Amino acid sequence: MNRLLKSCLVAATLALSNVSAHAGKDGGTLSFLVQPEPPTLASYVSTSGPIGLVMPKVYEGLFDYDNDGKMIPILAESYEMSADGKTVTFNLRKGVKWHDGKPFTSADVQFTVMDVLKKVHPRGPNSFREVSAIETPDAHTAIFKLNKPAPYMMRSFSAYESPMVPKHLLEGQDVKSAPLANNPVGTGPFKFVEWKKGQYIRLDKNEDYWLEGLPHLDRIVGRFIPDASTRTAAMENGEVLYAAYNAIPNIDAVRLKDRDDIDVTTDGYSMINPMALIEFNTKEGPFVDPAVRRAISTAIDRRFMIDTIFFGYGKPATSALSSNFKATNLHATMPNYPERGDVAKANAMLDAAGFKKNSDGVRLNGVLDIIPYGEDWRRAGEYLKQVMGDIGINLELRYEDVPTWLKRVYHRYDFQMNVNYFYQLPDPVLGVHRHYGTDQIRKGTHFVNSSRYSNPTLDALLDSGAGEPDAAKRTAAYNEIQQILANDMPVVNLFELEFLVVYNNKLKGAYDSAMGAYGSFREAYLDD
Amino acid sequence: MSTFWQRYRRNKSAVFGLAVILIVIIMAVTANFLYPFDPFRLAGKPLSGPGMNGFLLGSDSLGRDVAAGIVHGAKTSLLIGLIATLVAVLIGIVFGAFSGYYGGRLDDFLMRVTEIFQTIPSFIFAILLVAIMKPSIVSIVIAIAVVSWPGVARLVRGEFLALKSREFVQACHTLGMSDLRIMLREILPNCMSPIIVIGSLMVATAILIESGLAFLGLGDPNIMSWGFQIGAGRTMLRSAWWVCTFPGVAILITVLAINLVGEGLNDALNPRLRERI
Repeated sequence: MNRLLKSCLVAATLALSNVSAHAGKDGGTLSFLVQPEPPTLASYVSTSGPIGLVMPKVYEGLFDYDNDGKMIPILAESYEMSADGKTVTFNLRKGVKWHDGKPFTSADVQFTVMDVLKKVHPRGPNSFREVSAIETPDAHTAIFKLNKPAPYMMRSFSAYESPMVPKHLLEGQDVKSAPLANNPVGTGPFKFVEWKKGQYIRLDKNEDYWLEGLPHLDRIVGRFIPDASTRTAAMENGEVLYAAYNAIPNIDAVRLKDRDDIDVTTDGYSMINPMALIEFNTKEGPFVDPAVRRAISTAIDRRFMIDTIFFGYGKPATSALSSNFKATNLHATMPNYPERGDVAKANAMLDAAGFKKNSDGVRLNGVLDIIPYGEDWRRAGEYLKQVMGDIGINLELRYEDVPTWLKRVYHRYDFQMNVNYFYQLPDPVLGVHRHYGTDQIRKGTHFVNSSRYSNPTLDALLDSGAGEPDAAKRTAAYNEIQQILANDMPVVNLFELEFLVVYNNKLKGAYDSAMGAYGSFREAYLDD
Repeated sequence: MSTFWQRYRRNKSAVFGLAVILIVIIMAVTANFLYPFDPFRLAGKPLSGPGMNGFLLGSDSLGRDVAAGIVHGAKTSLLIGLIATLVAVLIGIVFGAFSGYYGGRLDDFLMRVTEIFQTIPSFIFAILLVAIMKPSIVSIVIAIAVVSWPGVARLVRGEFLALKSREFVQACHTLGMSDLRIMLREILPNCMSPIIVIGSLMVATAILIESGLAFLGLGDPNIMSWGFQIGAGRTMLRSAWWVCTFPGVAILITVLAINLVGEGLNDALNPRLRERI
């Protein structure tokens, strides 16, 4: 534990030295694309993407994370974890003020985690599920008491995942409907000024920001432009300087990349970790036998899908976990995950499993549901139908609107095979367990274990993986988890989606946070 | 019949239209001989240009043969156009005939119902219908028929109104013929020519609606159609023009040809315009 603490403190000093090294030019307005317009600004109630683009500039978390996954101290200067992993003490930064002038204290941390995030945040109940109490011996110390060690919790203190909110503006009110939602008051480098519906959100520099010399920018404007080609045009003529989460479509990004003033990066999504995948109904229908699912995974040419459908942006999946978990030593490459599909081998696997082809060359008939999030996914479905035809699985495609599709898959389980994508988030406990755990078979809850896969051995391993403070033992647990899943394959991962950030290269200093576009932009500046 | 053909023949563009439609029909009928495989098949290198890698009209982003898609899509477009039009014409005739023949309250009622359908923008209504039912070839045919019949009903009503007081109809009444028989055997044959003309034009509209729906992603995902090809290729218009250009040209030519034929039919069937040229 001491080593962990030390590495954290080292990271802290490193990060602070980075700040001074990054001294940039002061002044200027940054316009960037927010797509679509956020439904609300209450980032403590909703994790919806566009809210994440705006609010981490206003609210801050206890920590941020750099591109190597190291923790950067923000509102907490450091933390200490007890030897049993059940007590975590945060030393909070002194002299931090809310935008209304009131001081930020440990009471705010206690209130935010216990009364806001654990209650109304979509993922908070999971991230902080082991937190039983938070003690505040003084204004700058918050002691988290845990029922069980929860190492994954340390990955969820970013401003996007766990924004710290002012107790004095929420206490005694209904958190979900409090007026703070659209008049946010945070501690961040930028203050909220106005939200002109249908046009823009304006944030101005916080002159009293606790870190001397930051932020560099005078103003940030988040623009809403509904039409994709207009967004691309705005990027081309320099009207906006930054666009993330594919606000600029891949096909245009590939074209813009060739310009001198525009660059494209896939950095800034490692904490989100999106994974394209196929969910199978393991209880009924043609894909109940794991041998069929293994053959399907073997036949799929992941490289082809990435190159032809997503313009080369993506990484072939190699296991149930994203390769981004290599940073925490949890990922291991597994069999049945070829980069290039092997149709002959898949056919042999199905032959061996006793699925004979009939006179039309068909072994099984099934229906493939496609996530209704746009054309790319339809192409993916059309590709899968063809390749499944090659191994004797005759698929019919079904493409419905979002509510019907969600009801079919997560309320009625009336599906056989479903193309989808999940965020694996910064830790498997937060983003991966929900696929596979028996306790995650939650009828009517979206994006959980719709396969209804249930394996007591795996459940036990998931539990030990979640609560294991020792890094080596945790690695071993996840290794075994991945082996079981590569064999049973209730879910076949396809590829790690790589979202893009398209930016004008006169914007500098906005790319060091692992949160990417969900970061604070406090070090961003314009260089012209 | 020979005089009909003589009259039709006088309109040269109508003859051209007929020739084009015949080609499209032949294409549709022989699709399985020309390209005896699933048009969704990944046939080769993605985004090959026309003439490259053995693709006559190029390949799309997944390496599907554009030419195969056009040939198989012809089948879909014609089939949907014809069936949807037949259904719409049938509904329209029933509504229009009863409304025009009986008049009075029934007429009021039926025409108000027709107007409700006419006031809703037809393409948006079709989108709505397909979105409610799940996108499939049946739901698309139903949607197109539902948005197309009011025009036929209006036309048939007008014809029935005009014809029902004519002497031959009165003679039928005197002879004691039943209403249904008068409507079916006497009046309807006399207003067939405008129905045929409007029907032929509706086939063109139906093809356009189907293409529009498929373009918006509301087509049957398991069936190749021209609109689907355009929708799938539109994002790469700048880099691979052939993916949506050729199906687009196919739609343009087919719809134009059907319109020309419709006009030719109008000239040939409408006695009052017989000497127009």
